[in-house]
Amino acid sequence: MKKIYAIKAAMLALLLGGGYALADEDVKVGFALALSGFIAPYDDGPYKAAQLAIDDINTKGGLLGKKLIAVASDTKSDVDVGAIAATDVIGKGARVIMVTCDFDFGAPAAIVAQSQNVFAFSSCAADPKFGVQGIGPNAYTLATATLTQGSILAEFAYKQANLKTAYLLTDTSGEYMKSLCASFERRFIELAGEAGIVGKDNFHGLNDTSIAGQISRLKASPKQPEAVMFCGAGSAGASFIRQIRATGIDLPLLAGESMDGAYWLGAVPDLSNFYVLAYGSAFGNDPDAKINDFTTRFTAKFGEQPATSHALTGYSVIEAWALAVERAGTFDTDAVRAELDKLKDEPFLAGKTSFTPEAHINLDRPMLVFNIVNGKHEPIGRFSSEVIPELKF
Amino acid sequence: MIYVIQTLVDAVSVGAVYALSALGIGLLFGVMRLVNFAQGEFVTIGIYTLMLTVGLWFPLAAILTVLVVVLLALLADRLAFKPVRDADPATMLITSFALSYLLQNVLVLIFGARPIGFNIIPELGLPVMIGEIRIPRLNILTICVAVGLLTGIALFLRRTRIGIEMRAAAVDFRMARLLGIKGDRVIAVAFALTGVLSAVVAVLFAAQTGTAAPTYGLQLALVGFVATVIGGMGSLVGAVFGGMIVGVVTVCLQALLPPELRVFREAFVYAVVIAILVLRPDGLFQGVGSRERV
Repeated sequence: MKKIYAIKAAMLALLLGGGYALADEDVKVGFALALSGFIAPYDDGPYKAAQLAIDDINTKGGLLGKKLIAVASDTKSDVDVGAIAATDVIGKGARVIMVTCDFDFGAPAAIVAQSQNVFAFSSCAADPKFGVQGIGPNAYTLATATLTQGSILAEFAYKQANLKTAYLLTDTSGEYMKSLCASFERRFIELAGEAGIVGKDNFHGLNDTSIAGQISRLKASPKQPEAVMFCGAGSAGASFIRQIRATGIDLPLLAGESMDGAYWLGAVPDLSNFYVLAYGSAFGNDPDAKINDFTTRFTAKFGEQPATSHALTGYSVIEAWALAVERAGTFDTDAVRAELDKLKDEPFLAGKTSFTPEAHINLDRPMLVFNIVNGKHEPIGRFSSEVIPELKF
Repeated sequence: MIYVIQTLVDAVSVGAVYALSALGIGLLFGVMRLVNFAQGEFVTIGIYTLMLTVGLWFPLAAILTVLVVVLLALLADRLAFKPVRDADPATMLITSFALSYLLQNVLVLIFGARPIGFNIIPELGLPVMIGEIRIPRLNILTICVAVGLLTGIALFLRRTRIGIEMRAAAVDFRMARLLGIKGDRVIAVAFALTGVLSAVVAVLFAAQTGTAAPTYGLQLALVGFVATVIGGMGSLVGAVFGGMIVGVVTVCLQALLPPELRVFREAFVYAVVIAILVLRPDGLFQGVGSRERV
C-alpha cells in the first residue's frame, strides 16, 4: 500500500513539477522578485530589462527554437515570502529564476531553486556569498563583486584622478558599504602606503539623522585628505552628501554603484567633483553605443529611462543563461551549468562577464566611472582593477 | 580646542531635532496616555508635502505642510484612535503601530520606495562662522524653534482655557468630563498640536536632509519615544531634555570612542539610557500623568 502511495506521489510530483514544462512547448523564465514594497525600486529596472531581453530572444526565433515566457511572483519585499515566490514560479514550470538584487532578500528564493535543481540568478547582489559557497552551484549573480568595485575606485583615485590621500566614511548599516570601503582601503594602502589613508570614520545610515560630528572630525583632521571615499547608500547617502557639501567641504567624493542614478541629486542640485561607479550610463550618454541603444529601447517600451544602470544586470541575467543554453544545446540544468562555468570575458550589457566553477560573481570586470559636474553625470570611461581580488569566505 | 567646541555645537544641534520630535510624543502621552508611533509618519508625510510643493513660495509651502499634517493628525484621531479610546493603553499602542505601518505603505504605493531628492531653503544649510566655529544656520533655527515651541506650548497649557482643560484631562480624564470638559475636543486639540509639531520637524528635517523616503519618520519617532521615557513620561520639559540628552550623548560618543568601538556607538548610547532609568525609573522629570494617585 505504501508503495502505491509513493508511486502516486512521485507521479503527482512529476505532473506538477518538471512534467509541466516538458508538456509545454514554451520555456518559462521565473521572476521571484520584489514587485511591491520597500525593495521594489531596486528590482524594477532589472526585471523590466530582463523582459526586454526575453523579447529580443523571442523576436530572433526563441531559445533552441522555443519561445520564452516570463512568469513572476511577488516577494512583497519580505525575506520570508521569497521562498514562497520561488516555489510558486518553479511550480509554474520555470527552468531558471531571477531573484532580488540583494543577498539577504534574494537568498531565500535562491535556496529553494537550488534545492529543486533550478538556476537562481541575482541581477545585482554584489556579495560573493551569492554563489557556490553561500547558496550552491546553481546560484549566480551578474553583479561586479564589491571587492572589485572598491579596488577599481582605489586605482581610479590614485592613478587616474591623481588623488594621493583619502579619508574613509563608512555606513555601517549594510554589508555592501562596509565591504566596499574595506576593499578600497586595502587597495589604496597597496598603492599609496599606510600614510595614504589620512583618517576614517563611520555612520549608521538607519540610525543617524545627521553626520555633523563626523564632518567636524574630518574638518579637524591634522592632515586634510585629497579625496573622501563615501561608502553610503539610499536616502541617508543623499542626505549626508548634502550635509557634507553644505559645510563647504568641496573635496572630491568617491562612491560605489549604490549611489548610481540621478533620483537623489535633487538633494544636492549643483553637486560637482563626485566620482561614482556604475555598470553603464542610464542617461543615454554611455561611451558604449550598445548601452545607449538599450536605454532608448527600454525607454520606448516602458515609458521611462531606467532609474539606475542596475537594469543592465537584469538584461545580462537572460543573456548569460541563454548563451549557456545555446552552447549546451539543451535546457538540462547540469549541462547548462557546465557551460555557464566556462563563460569567459563575454561582452554582456552589464560588462565583460566570466564565471568559473568556484566564482559565480564577476571579479574581473571594468566599470564605468562618472564625474558628476553641476548635477550632470559625465562619463569618464571604463576602468578595471589591475589586481583581481581573491574570493575569501 | 576648536574641535571640542565644534563637537559641542554639533551635539546641541542634533539634540534639538530629537527634542522637537520628543515634544510631540510627550504631549500626546501627557494628555491621553497614548504612545503614538505613527507620529513618525506625520513627519514623513510633512516631508513629502514639502517635496510636492517645492518651487512654491516657501512660506506658502510651509503653511500647506502644517495644514496637511494637522488634518492628518485630526483624521488619525477621529478614525483610528477614537474607536479605541476606552481600550487599554496596549491596544492604543498597537493601533498606533498599525496606523504607522498603513501610512508608510500608502506612501510606498503613491511615491514608490526609492528616496526622492529635493532642495528646499538651501541657504539654511550654510554655516555662520564664529571664529573658526561653524554653526549651520539651520541648527540655530532648530534650537530657536525648539525653545519657542516649548515656551509656546507651556503658555498655551497654562494660560488658555483649552490648555487648562487639557491639563485637567491629563490628570483625570473621567473627572474632567464629569465637570463639563468636552473630551473629544481636548484630545482633538492635542492631536492638532502634535500635527503642528510634526510639520515643524518635517520642515527642519527636509531642509537638512533634502530627501523624502517613506521610512524617514521611524527613526525620529523611536528617538522621540526613548527621549520621552528618559525625560519622564508626560513631562514636556522632560521630553525636550530627554531628546537633547540622546542627541548630545550620541554625538559625543561618536567623537570620543576609538574607531573600533564607534561601530557599537548605539549600544553605548542605550547603556546611558538604561543607566538613567536605573537611577530614576520614572525619568528625569516626573510628569503629572505618570504619578500614581491615591
